[in-house]
Amino acid sequence: MFEINDKTNAPARDHGTDILVRLQARFGALESHRQRQDLLRIEVGQDQLLPVLSWLKGDTPYVQLTHLTAVDWIEEDRFELIYLVTAPALFMTLMISISIDRVSATAESVFNLWLQAETYEQEINEMFGIDFPGSPRQGVPFILEGWDDMPPMRRDFDTVEYCKRTHPERPGRDHTDPRTYVGKKFGEKGYLT
Amino acid sequence: MKRFDPDKPWDLTTLPTTAGPEGSLPHAPVQKTAGGRDQCFLGASDVPNAPGLPEAVSTIKNWFRASSLNVLAFGTGCGAIELRPLMTSRFDMSRFGITGAPTPRMSNVFIISGYLSTKTLKRVIRSYEQMPNPKWVVALGSCTINGGMYWDSYNTIKVLDLYMPVDVYISGCMPRPEALIAGFQYLMKEIKAGDANGWHHYLENLDWYRENQKKVIKDWDLPDYSW
Amino acid sequence: MSRTEHLKSLGYDVMPNAGTEVDPREVQLWFGPQHPGITGNMSVQVWLEGDTIKRGITHVGYLHRGFEKLMERRKFIQSFPVVCRICVAEPDTNEYLLAQSLEELSGMDKDVPEKAQWIRTLVMEMSRLQATLMVLGGSVGTMGMGTAPNWTYTLRDFVLDSFEELTGGRVYHMYTTYGGVRRDLPTGFALRLEETLKKIDERLPYLDDLIFHNEVFRMRSIGVGVVPVEWADEIGITGPPLRAMGIARDVRRDYPYLKYPELDFKVCTGEGSDIYARAWVRRQEISESVSIIRQILEKMPHEGPYSAKLPNMLTWTIPRGSTYVRAEASRGEMGYMMVTDGSDKIRRVHVRGPSYTNAITVLERMLPGTNIADLSALMVSLQTCPPEIER
Repeated sequence: MFEINDKTNAPARDHGTDILVRLQARFGALESHRQRQDLLRIEVGQDQLLPVLSWLKGDTPYVQLTHLTAVDWIEEDRFELIYLVTAPALFMTLMISISIDRVSATAESVFNLWLQAETYEQEINEMFGIDFPGSPRQGVPFILEGWDDMPPMRRDFDTVEYCKRTHPERPGRDHTDPRTYVGKKFGEKGYLT
Repeated sequence: MKRFDPDKPWDLTTLPTTAGPEGSLPHAPVQKTAGGRDQCFLGASDVPNAPGLPEAVSTIKNWFRASSLNVLAFGTGCGAIELRPLMTSRFDMSRFGITGAPTPRMSNVFIISGYLSTKTLKRVIRSYEQMPNPKWVVALGSCTINGGMYWDSYNTIKVLDLYMPVDVYISGCMPRPEALIAGFQYLMKEIKAGDANGWHHYLENLDWYRENQKKVIKDWDLPDYSW
Repeated sequence: MSRTEHLKSLGYDVMPNAGTEVDPREVQLWFGPQHPGITGNMSVQVWLEGDTIKRGITHVGYLHRGFEKLMERRKFIQSFPVVCRICVAEPDTNEYLLAQSLEELSGMDKDVPEKAQWIRTLVMEMSRLQATLMVLGGSVGTMGMGTAPNWTYTLRDFVLDSFEELTGGRVYHMYTTYGGVRRDLPTGFALRLEETLKKIDERLPYLDDLIFHNEVFRMRSIGVGVVPVEWADEIGITGPPLRAMGIARDVRRDYPYLKYPELDFKVCTGEGSDIYARAWVRRQEISESVSIIRQILEKMPHEGPYSAKLPNMLTWTIPRGSTYVRAEASRGEMGYMMVTDGSDKIRRVHVRGPSYTNAITVLERMLPGTNIADLSALMVSLQTCPPEIER
């Protein structure tokens, strides 16, 4: 009733040189970095993002959105959004990376291209505070409930200080350094004797 | 109106039969205990080991309670993965009389298996309060003792004792099924000795527990007590 | 006055939409975090008309511990105990992905010795085996049969015994580390593991009879919970739900890692994309895992170092870079998006769990028209694992 496919039927692999040439022909010079045989990182400008992704999804084999993440580069005053787009037929993944301003923190939503982007964008909105106007679930709490502080994944959110404020600890051991703790119990060189 | 006394279960004259305030639908009348608190209508008497009972009756009651623990089916954290092996025939827990119960109304024991995020804590409090008295809490893992490895996480609570009364702590990360059985045996010993009264402590000090809970759960919308 | 106001005037505490404000035929039900039919700790808010679900919303977040924030505060070596706990059922995949991503960014991945790679493959396959056993039993367990879960959980226990002998822990191993693994295989380990595999082989025909020839299971699963093929690339489905549609994609074959190119295994597919097909794919994968483990034990070199020489872990820094590594967990493609910035801590790690799309996007779109009794069978067959959705 069910077939079991063999592994020898895997189609030929493409290492992404072709797609880089085509992208640069269409969208101009783009910085790229080859991380691995099957992983190519490309940096695009913020206004080129939707055209690039729509073209990739529509006219090339790069049809699947594997992942969407945000990185907080607080020293450089920007957020970086990384879109991982895969071509299952060619076994290639592209890391499309854009930078957005850290203060205004808005980016275009790709919900119209891929349905699952609504969940990714909902999480990034909650965790980083980046807005994706047009995405259906912006502002709906996803993971946190009753959260009243700043978005927790930003680098300036101090989680230890938040814990000290909100979650009391059990009194007793106040040193996590074993040397100090053992020293208190057994004397200065207790652990060496 | 006489209180429903569970030590005299066959005395039907003490069952509440009158309706509530005038003109309303009939419902179980809310009775007050000695401290002025509304008594949980599913509860046993809210005084453990009620004085005036012969000791033999207390012993038999506690023995029955210890031998038929019903664990609520709520896997609150990581430790729930070791509950399934505990139920299967290798580490059989039903030879000790411990079984599972699907709803809080039919269960005795609440296993808090690991860390609790504040979102889960709200549901755990609600389930815990819906359980009829007497009930016990078994806290699994090091996360319940002092936060465990999530000591610096912004979403987990660090000390379970401030929010719920705990009767047994089982340390480990995570504890083996044999450690769980040892913990249960300790709990059974405590019940038989009449010392496992966390539920009574909770009812008596409900204000203190509520204050701690409200500090952590920022969007508090639970009723005063989840009957 | 309305019923709500009448009850309020009598002093009752009334829920906001009790009574006449919503369609009286529609019942809102929280298939909530406390339910024996839930896999893990998530809830589904459903609106029912009679027995049929009209629509539903998934709610997650009950298990959020902020792993990614925790890992940003720890040195690289301190992340291992933390990263195991991202997915409770299958911790070894997470350990391997963490090790692989940082080794790749630091250039250490060419130093990992042969034997270590074989041992890592062995540990990954054992982990897939025990997770698949668990979910195969769970597939029928949610429908009410207790015998098959009992068997599969016991078989899984024997595999956990081997893990305990190898690594010291039943569930969380912390065995794979940078540069290799933490200790060598004990003497005679292969013989004891082979005994476990024999027990699994003996039991599988009985499981087939009990599960796949069972009239009740067949009635409840054939044609139920069909995921349309068009959603595969739209939503990014991976793993057994994808293979049950007939599409043969497997990370072990498509993006080979560790020693999988030297092993001979088939990519198991099914037909029909319903609950039966997914359970059948998992059953095939158990046999494949057993055969892969046997091949590994046969082909593995007996001598050799099990770990590369590591730099000082307290001061190790990794140059700036970003990568994405993937592995095949029993649920599908699991990936780590790792970004480093030249310091001794991780800049950003984002775990891409296979259930991220399955549990929310797929489930919510499949709910209209389902019977409430099939909801938990559907969740188990999509193998939703809430801890990896919200980390």
